[in-house]
Amino acid sequence: MNKLKVVNDKIVSCELDDQLQVKLEEKNDFFDVNSLKILVLGDTDLEIEYESDHECKLDIFVNVKADVHFSLWEFRHGKRTKVQYKYYLDRNSNTMIRRIHHMEGIRELDLFHLNGECAKVDFLLKTISIKPEKYDMVVYHNAPKTTSNIVDHGINLEDGELIFNVTGDIPKGKTGCFLDQKNRIVTYNLEECKISPNLFTSEEDVTANHAAYIGKFKDEDVFYMMSRGIEERDAIRLLMKGFFLSNLELTKEKEEKLISILEDVWR
Amino acid sequence: MQQDHVLDIQDLSVEIEGKEILSHLNLTIKSGEIHVIMGPNGTGKSTLTKVIMGDEHYRITNGSIAYDGQDLKTMKVDERARLGIFLGMQMPYEIEGVTNADFMRSAVHAKEKDQFQLFSFIKKMDKIVEQLHMDPEMIHRSINQGFSGGERKKNEILQMYLLHPSLVLLDEIDSGLDVDSLRIVGENVMRYYEENNPGLLLITHYKRLLDYIKPTHVHVMMNGTIVKSGDASLVEEIENDGYEAIAKKFSTSIGTCIIKEMTGHE
Repeated sequence: MNKLKVVNDKIVSCELDDQLQVKLEEKNDFFDVNSLKILVLGDTDLEIEYESDHECKLDIFVNVKADVHFSLWEFRHGKRTKVQYKYYLDRNSNTMIRRIHHMEGIRELDLFHLNGECAKVDFLLKTISIKPEKYDMVVYHNAPKTTSNIVDHGINLEDGELIFNVTGDIPKGKTGCFLDQKNRIVTYNLEECKISPNLFTSEEDVTANHAAYIGKFKDEDVFYMMSRGIEERDAIRLLMKGFFLSNLELTKEKEEKLISILEDVWR
Repeated sequence: MQQDHVLDIQDLSVEIEGKEILSHLNLTIKSGEIHVIMGPNGTGKSTLTKVIMGDEHYRITNGSIAYDGQDLKTMKVDERARLGIFLGMQMPYEIEGVTNADFMRSAVHAKEKDQFQLFSFIKKMDKIVEQLHMDPEMIHRSINQGFSGGERKKNEILQMYLLHPSLVLLDEIDSGLDVDSLRIVGENVMRYYEENNPGLLLITHYKRLLDYIKPTHVHVMMNGTIVKSGDASLVEEIENDGYEAIAKKFSTSIGTCIIKEMTGHE
């Protein structure tokens, strides 16, 4: 797998095949943020680890060419970060994004531009929020028969506050689009959590769904586990693990790393 | 040598959201006894099993529940389970992301603590999976997710075997089972009983489960209390006459007057 490591707003290491072009544009007199630009030319995958040891900002541009299948795995940890993603997905491209956050706060904007007919994005975010986190995501279905599946899963603990604003936009004439968003926050503190699902469709020939849930794990699930002798806190830990790790298709090494993070925040 | 255990329920009344579900109910189950509770829908049978297990949605307004002399009312659900009480549910919950294997390992580990041995746990689980004719892949799937009715019930029985309880409560374990699954579940419950001598409480609507599990005590429950108790022959009476006829022998209608008559409460 192609690999990239970014510390704060700089690339520190990269191993890439010829299907990927990556460059970092340094901030200048006009832009006060470094920009990471990723061009995907052919079928490939990429794993990016972001680490921040101080508060920082970064803009990320991902451009997936026509007919390309691209799989992106991201793991972000460290100090508070402000990050902005812009995706440009061409005709018949298929992009799958798996993103995991364990941050001391984040402010994130994701703009998905599905520019070519039949472009598709599957996006899955998993975050453990222990400080305020806010995500604004907008999916522009700029071409017919485009598909977006957006899933945001957050576990809110300690001093966490978690906000998901997720918007889907389908203009008139972009027929046959499919838009689905599922947002869920499991919260075990008294801080604010909010989900705003927005579906703006000016076209009738579309399928648009959303689901949103904020709360603790269901009493029935906790009862079921406790009825097998598992203490309440351990039952919640198991449920948290299931919720956080599901659908990530992890290697053993990654799974163990994430389990140890969960163990750390839910002792 | 197996120990003898006693579940003792005295004068138990329970409500949920202000509505009384169980009313002055008495029931004692000892090791080696198989009790069957039958009765019309909505009469409180499932509630009874959940209250014994400690479901906090229900409020006990009167009476006592003790296991081996220990007051269960002061114990949490997990403490009751570790004491040896097991509830096989009518509709076991689906839990996404948590695998059966992880769940069962955590449960057995919670019970055995330092004595827990992973290898013997896996070996035992594999053996029971085979015994229950389950697909071994199910162990690695999310709890009950995408399981058929029969698979869910077998999964409950698998958990029962692994946790090795001394008191087994089975709430309509026969519902949603085809004939083959019913036989497998029935035979395995009976096998567990013969090998381990637990107290057993079955909630059922149908006689067919009792082709495999032979009760020592049969109770008819109506309006939140037991209105008639007897031996296995009572099942035949219910099959032949129905609940209404049994109720009429004690009262003019199925209603709260029966409860008062049977329990002596005014």
